[in-house]
Amino acid sequence: MLKTLGALLLLAAGLLFGFYQSLNLSRRPKQIRQLALALQRLETEIGYGATPLPDALRSSASTLSPPLAALFRSAADRMEESGTGRTAAESWTQAVQDGFFRTSMKEPEREALLQLGASLGISDTQDQLKHLRLAVSHLTVEEQNAADEEKRYGNMWKSLGVLGAALVVVIML
Amino acid sequence: MTDSIQDLLPPGIKSIVSKLSPEIAARLEEIRIREGRPLEIVYGGRHAFPDAGGRPAAIPADAYHPGHEECIRLLDLLTKHSLYSYEEELRRGYITIAGGHRIGLAGRAILEGGRVKLLRDVTSFNIRIARQVKGCGAKVLPLLLDREAKAVHHTLVLSPPQQGKTTLIRDLVRLISEGTRELPGGRKVGVVDERSEIAACVRGVPTFDLGPRTDVLDGCPKAEGMMMMIRSMSPEVLVVDEIGTVQDAEAVWEAMNAGIRVIATAHGRDLAESSGRPALKRLLQEGIFTRLVQLSREGERFETLVRELAGQRLKQARAPDGREARSC
Repeated sequence: MLKTLGALLLLAAGLLFGFYQSLNLSRRPKQIRQLALALQRLETEIGYGATPLPDALRSSASTLSPPLAALFRSAADRMEESGTGRTAAESWTQAVQDGFFRTSMKEPEREALLQLGASLGISDTQDQLKHLRLAVSHLTVEEQNAADEEKRYGNMWKSLGVLGAALVVVIML
Repeated sequence: MTDSIQDLLPPGIKSIVSKLSPEIAARLEEIRIREGRPLEIVYGGRHAFPDAGGRPAAIPADAYHPGHEECIRLLDLLTKHSLYSYEEELRRGYITIAGGHRIGLAGRAILEGGRVKLLRDVTSFNIRIARQVKGCGAKVLPLLLDREAKAVHHTLVLSPPQQGKTTLIRDLVRLISEGTRELPGGRKVGVVDERSEIAACVRGVPTFDLGPRTDVLDGCPKAEGMMMMIRSMSPEVLVVDEIGTVQDAEAVWEAMNAGIRVIATAHGRDLAESSGRPALKRLLQEGIFTRLVQLSREGERFETLVRELAGQRLKQARAPDGREARSC
């Protein structure tokens, strides 16, 4: 009786783990796409509106899904916190370091964000636009990779979870 | 009072400024930051090079030397992390921040088509601390009143930089707008504040007290702004800071002929020097300005001299007791 219960629990855990992995895989290209769009929006804010960076970050955060929006907002809040003497680059880096693990994105996207942060706000409009476009094109490439990975491994993870759990169950019995 | 500035300073310089002795801090006029060179402060007409503990160093070499990283941080903080939205300011070489403080900048200029496009590698910062000295114009204003017309004379305020020109006209604006015993009810005042110095507007709202009947056109080029004011706001007195170009003078002339009293300031030591400048030449030659105010200072002693300009006849009157430099 107890054994059956344990086996069922194991199977359920394996199933959920598999689903979670495949969900992460399918979320990644979506988030990258959103991020690229948000950066393009930032480009417009900076290029045509000359909006101050914290406000520009907030308004481009409005279209993002929660983990990324929180990242953008926390960067903006850090920049506006008075009396700390923090630069835009430092605020951005800290926000990425604190909030990135909540997203489904991986190392290459993190690199792209950190690289963008180093030049955020410290040069004239033309230069800012160049950096933003560079980051967007970087992300577009990663989006392609992420979509490929999802196709390849998405279903695999789903079945692997259950099958792995079944294997452990068989061994234990 | 210097809080709004302290928030903008990088940590190293901030701690020095906060350690300055109270006498110096109360009279602080300028903080000058130059990359790799000693930090300089100007207070009460004197200057000093403070060391890391905030005490004036005996020789400049012992003073605190701000580094490259600090200058970059300062520029980032001054521009609210958005250098791109301050391109116009960088072209003109200064940024005005909340509180009316103006930060002058120097570095390497980037040219485009022979004109300055942007400043890069900004390595010199001059933080000028603005103070509102309420009442500093109270003794000057009676000398500027045209009692017959119940109005203010066309007035030109002349002085070299750092003598309190802007502080004086800021108070004159407040007094004229509020009204005094000699000028009951006040007058409608229009201020064209191209450099955001007189009113120190933040999002269009003046941070200095300019009285209840004052309209401010913030950040607008003077020549265009004066015409806009005349057409739209029907001011009785128009105030502009630092007229320098021929177009400015042209607009002042227009305003005067539109029946509006004008108070303007210009850089210059005296009448002879100013009438050599093409922009002011015509205005002065035609004798349109009927009052001339000259400012001078020695250390902390400010002196104001009001002269009557009526045609070629010059009569001198000295403002009693001048103004006192005091923070508030």
